[in-house]
Amino acid sequence: MIDAFLAWLLLAGPLWAVIGLWALPQVVGKRKNDDEPTLSKLQVAGVVSGFALGPLGLGLYYLRPRWITRVTLTIGLFLAVFLSSQALVRVGDPNLPSGAWLILAGPLWSAIAAYFIPRRYREAEADDQNVLTAAALGGFAIGPLIFGLMWKNTPKISRDWMIVLGSLGAWQIYTIFALHNAENLCVTAPYHITYLAQQTANGVVIGCIYSLMAVGLTLIYSVQGIVSFAHGQLYMVGGYFSFYFLMHGSNLLSQLTGTEISINPLWGIPVAALIVFLMGALFERAFLKPMHDGLIERVSEYAILITFGFGFVVEYTTLAIAGPFPQRTDRFIEARRITLPRTQITDEFAFGPINIIGDRAFAMLVGIVLIFALLYFLQRTWTGRALRATSQDRQAAAVTGINPTNMNTLSFGMGSMLAAMSGAALIPIFAWVPWVGAEMVGRSYVIVVLGGLGSVPGALVGGIIVGIVEALGAGCHPDPSRGAAYKEAFALVIFALVLLLKPTGLFGREQH
Amino acid sequence: MALFQRIEAAVDAGIGRRRLGYALLALIIVYFLWFPNDTSQSNYAKTVFISGFFYAIMSSSWALLAGIAGQFSFGHMAFMGIGAYVAGLVARDGLAFLTAESISAVGAIFIGTLVAGLVGLVIGWLLLRLRSAYLALFTIAFSELFRIVMLTEYDYTGGSNGLSLRPLLQIADVDTARQVEYYLMFALLIVCLLALYWVSNSPIGLFLRAMREDEDAASALGVNVVRYKILVFVFTSMIVGLAGAIFYSDVGSERIIPEQLEILQMSLIIAYAVIGGMESLIGAAAGAFIARYLLEATRQVVITLPFGLTMADGSDAFVWEPGAWRYALFGLVMVLTLRFMRNGLLYPIITWFSGRGLVMKETVAKRESDEDHAGRLEVDNE
Amino acid sequence: MKHRSVFLVTIALIAMLTLVPMGMVSADGHCEFADYTISLGGLAPMSAPGAVAGGVAMDWAFKQAAADINADCGVQIDGVNYMLEVITGDSEGSPERGQAVAERLILEDEVDGMVGVYHSAVGLATMGIMEENGIPTIFSEPWNDNVSANGIIEFDGAAPRFDDGIDHIFRISPASSMVGSVVTDWLIALGVEDVVLIVENTDYGQPAAADEQARLEAAGVSVSQIDVELGTEDFVPILSRIQAGPVPDAIRIVVTGETSFNLTQQMAELGIAPTPDTICVTNQIAFQHVQYWATVPDGNYCAFNRVGIIPSLFNDTAIELNAAYEAEFGDIVPSFGMASYDAVFMMVDAMERAGSYSDAAAIVDAIEASDILLSQGRYYFTYGSHNPDLPEGTPNFMWHQWPDPIVTVMQYFEQGQSSLEAAVVYPEVYQTHGTAYVVPGTSPDM
Repeated sequence: MIDAFLAWLLLAGPLWAVIGLWALPQVVGKRKNDDEPTLSKLQVAGVVSGFALGPLGLGLYYLRPRWITRVTLTIGLFLAVFLSSQALVRVGDPNLPSGAWLILAGPLWSAIAAYFIPRRYREAEADDQNVLTAAALGGFAIGPLIFGLMWKNTPKISRDWMIVLGSLGAWQIYTIFALHNAENLCVTAPYHITYLAQQTANGVVIGCIYSLMAVGLTLIYSVQGIVSFAHGQLYMVGGYFSFYFLMHGSNLLSQLTGTEISINPLWGIPVAALIVFLMGALFERAFLKPMHDGLIERVSEYAILITFGFGFVVEYTTLAIAGPFPQRTDRFIEARRITLPRTQITDEFAFGPINIIGDRAFAMLVGIVLIFALLYFLQRTWTGRALRATSQDRQAAAVTGINPTNMNTLSFGMGSMLAAMSGAALIPIFAWVPWVGAEMVGRSYVIVVLGGLGSVPGALVGGIIVGIVEALGAGCHPDPSRGAAYKEAFALVIFALVLLLKPTGLFGREQH
Repeated sequence: MALFQRIEAAVDAGIGRRRLGYALLALIIVYFLWFPNDTSQSNYAKTVFISGFFYAIMSSSWALLAGIAGQFSFGHMAFMGIGAYVAGLVARDGLAFLTAESISAVGAIFIGTLVAGLVGLVIGWLLLRLRSAYLALFTIAFSELFRIVMLTEYDYTGGSNGLSLRPLLQIADVDTARQVEYYLMFALLIVCLLALYWVSNSPIGLFLRAMREDEDAASALGVNVVRYKILVFVFTSMIVGLAGAIFYSDVGSERIIPEQLEILQMSLIIAYAVIGGMESLIGAAAGAFIARYLLEATRQVVITLPFGLTMADGSDAFVWEPGAWRYALFGLVMVLTLRFMRNGLLYPIITWFSGRGLVMKETVAKRESDEDHAGRLEVDNE
Repeated sequence: MKHRSVFLVTIALIAMLTLVPMGMVSADGHCEFADYTISLGGLAPMSAPGAVAGGVAMDWAFKQAAADINADCGVQIDGVNYMLEVITGDSEGSPERGQAVAERLILEDEVDGMVGVYHSAVGLATMGIMEENGIPTIFSEPWNDNVSANGIIEFDGAAPRFDDGIDHIFRISPASSMVGSVVTDWLIALGVEDVVLIVENTDYGQPAAADEQARLEAAGVSVSQIDVELGTEDFVPILSRIQAGPVPDAIRIVVTGETSFNLTQQMAELGIAPTPDTICVTNQIAFQHVQYWATVPDGNYCAFNRVGIIPSLFNDTAIELNAAYEAEFGDIVPSFGMASYDAVFMMVDAMERAGSYSDAAAIVDAIEASDILLSQGRYYFTYGSHNPDLPEGTPNFMWHQWPDPIVTVMQYFEQGQSSLEAAVVYPEVYQTHGTAYVVPGTSPDM
């Protein structure tokens, strides 16, 4: 049963918007006053006022064009967001799977906008750099209104625009969550601020840890132009190297000294890094170098397959040697968890306490330190600069005396090493099995694509965003029972969207 | 070697390699047709062959998509899953808005195939902008999302218990049933291979190869890149959708489970195609068949020692259960094949019989003229 | 590097090509064996996506049982000694593979009986094949309620294919409902009012959770359920969600494998449970104490359901088996290892009593009449063709179901404690430390 509200939104609003688009320029344009708005502004106004207030809006605009523009625009925006969330909640029939709303209206408008608007821009031969992203984002955030705003290429699509549209979209999802389930912890005042802060903190902590692994992928890509599909397995094997080093090392030390000694897992990180660096470099020399020597046709596909095969071999060899039983090392630090204290801001309003697992906080620090060390290496040392130069222009770099072949080997070795280091940093935190890389590597792809393949700061930002989205997604999903099961899916949705809308990601080099 | 050359000369002088090749192919087909009548073989052998045919379809259609059209998709299993899941759901719940009557197995398979094709259309359209690594990543994401949804919405899909499809054949007698299933799946393989070859050898195949080598050049020469890219996606999606829907309609298996859609399963399909030869449809199909056989056969390796030697424990055979090593070795074979025999392990045999390379002459010429660009990457030609 | 790899591949290929059927194990000195070797098929998940750790233990148990039986002059039928072998088939945890492998074992290897099966989906899919081919079968680990009930009811919506012959399927693992009831009864007896169920979205998790939820709600306990996907590592967001809400009286984790260990550890680290306010109830895999303490160092005071006999009741067979397992894997023997071991012995016992290894009907009759003491206790079957009518109210799964799998609730109360010493807290008859619950921070009165 579709109720009147929904019917109005789905039918009348767009209907009047279309009428406005056509009618206002016709009617107002005929007045021929010099101070009348331009055609495109009239079209925008027509769509907005028609959608927001129907015939009333069009009438008002006809009579008082000056002041009504901004008012209808504002009203229209908020009305559109509110109404579409209301409508969407009503679509959320209890018999449908939760989240059916998301599958319906928002994406629908998004897809429609993404199809029509760039077309319009190309016809007008305008700059369509970010149009697709903006149209899709806007279609989701404000529904059909985006047509009015973007129909002509008048509005220049700046980064600010994107941020506004993105926040509106996020706010809409939040509103829908709130309307869908008023008991949702994310919206129940006054506790929700602390809860959101807690989830954000969870996301940031784990996000920084994710970044470390993703940085390795991005490094390999920036120099070699390939995505390593063995990254997850190298991450896994890094954990195992750390584990075996700590186990045998501790035993040996205990035997030598006669007292019980356990080595801090921090020492496993350099060991794993060294071994996996060598593994990666050797693999590069044996299997990737021929690709750069021109011995292989269609290199990009070869690169996917060969790294994939390498990962396959590493995973099953590890399974054969280490067995399927879960392992884990000791902790980094004694403190189980770190609690940020409660802060009383006003009498009624308090913030906190926020809990963070101690070892994770430590691993986060390790991750950040290593990422900054890498940045320092890339910016300040000769080798680092040579790597960057190779990634920007191989021929030019070769001319200046850099050996690109060595840079390739170095980049693959270092990229693998970073994966292994994050593995060694996480084995004290997660139970380790030979197939542990699969979930993590999927997330790394999301991060590097979101941050922009080839950008180190992008990987850090992307990691934090993915961490936060997963935490908030699992924490705020309207159906608590499904929130956790879909945790991985939230990141994958972002991933698919970024790939489709803006494959260069947030910080990637623009190509055209 | 001299012997081999003499045989070669004799064949060339006699019936010719081509005809010998066709004769051998005919012989193989006749063997497959006769196989179920071999009373010394059990029903299990037929089961193995049925699943071999299924994977041969998967692998050869992937070879068309990735090897010939250059669309490196990891979503092949997901399309198979769409075919099977839609067929199962439609047969169980019907199409509420069309009919209250339940839908027959054939109808369900038809709808499953159609939906797989439709999704292929949408995905193919979305993928137009993406190349190589990006395309691979996107299809991984698509396939994982599909799997997670199938797993999590267990009220509808049965979750990891799997979804039973309506049985296609209703034959009470087990032996007859297995025989019919065998011929059905074999016929499907032949039909799919013929269809794939038809596409590959038609002008469309030529366009696809041209696009794989250089999309911009192909487009400049008047190839409608958009149309053929989408076409190849829809075509292969429908083939695997059909194969999935039929295979899981109690022909090869009685239920589809989300684990079947995991990346591991997809990677096996890719490995089969690589080992058999990515640019040869029949090679990929044969690769799937042979690789599956070897994976099965190496569950336990028994080597009877010659010359009366004995193992330490006194037995006369060396027994090894490779477990996970099996897959590790399999991966190693795949990596080495890629590195040293890019066209697959069966390539030399097929080339010998066909008397020419599998790779089209135009392609070779193009590649040769392109040699100075071989080190460049296409990944970021947005 | 290149040449070495090529060399390795060549070796592997030669190995692949020189396959011959498995030879017979060499004859032992003190027994005279007949030419025929009795073979049993063992179904277990030996490779991913199946639960490999479970399969490895089951495979070990089959082999151990066969070795023990052969050391004792094999299977003795009518005064003739037959050598026994168990051929393990890898189900990969997938129904499709399970079916194919079951067929291979039956038709190619011509096994005389089947044992094993870990995943319920495999159990459900393979039952038909065993039934079709008339192979006596003893399942040792699938829990789905419908598994042994195939003979008399439809399963999973499909009509029973075989309603004419005898039912060949037996089960010595508990049905999900039998497991769930012990935990829920315990929680209800402790007087909890609200419970959070964390459930893996698989064929094991979902039915088990649905059953526990129904029982708890029938007793007036409020229940909220959270689904998780197996393989997820980071549970902090969802645990924060629990932490932010009202404090539950108990959290019950119905998840397997390393996912369960991660979940339990993160829950403990965050201080959600076990606490004096919240009971932590994890699941049967916590019984593997070496793995448990290696991966859940903060999991002290967690309770778990133990499926299978409790350590204090271990008989000599169980102690020996455990010692052998510990020597091999360095951990305590899991219940499905014991059950798989026992299943082989039961099958052999039935063949000996039936006086035949090939007469399926006789063997099934003999299994129905089983009365044998093995590592998990005394095995017998209440309902079968000898007693075909299930009384009103008896669930269908009791058909060919061992009625006595011991299901208990145990609890660790010392850091790093061996599960041999952990307290059995419920049901009361099995209690070892005289208490129904050790409150975190205390120690039970000895």
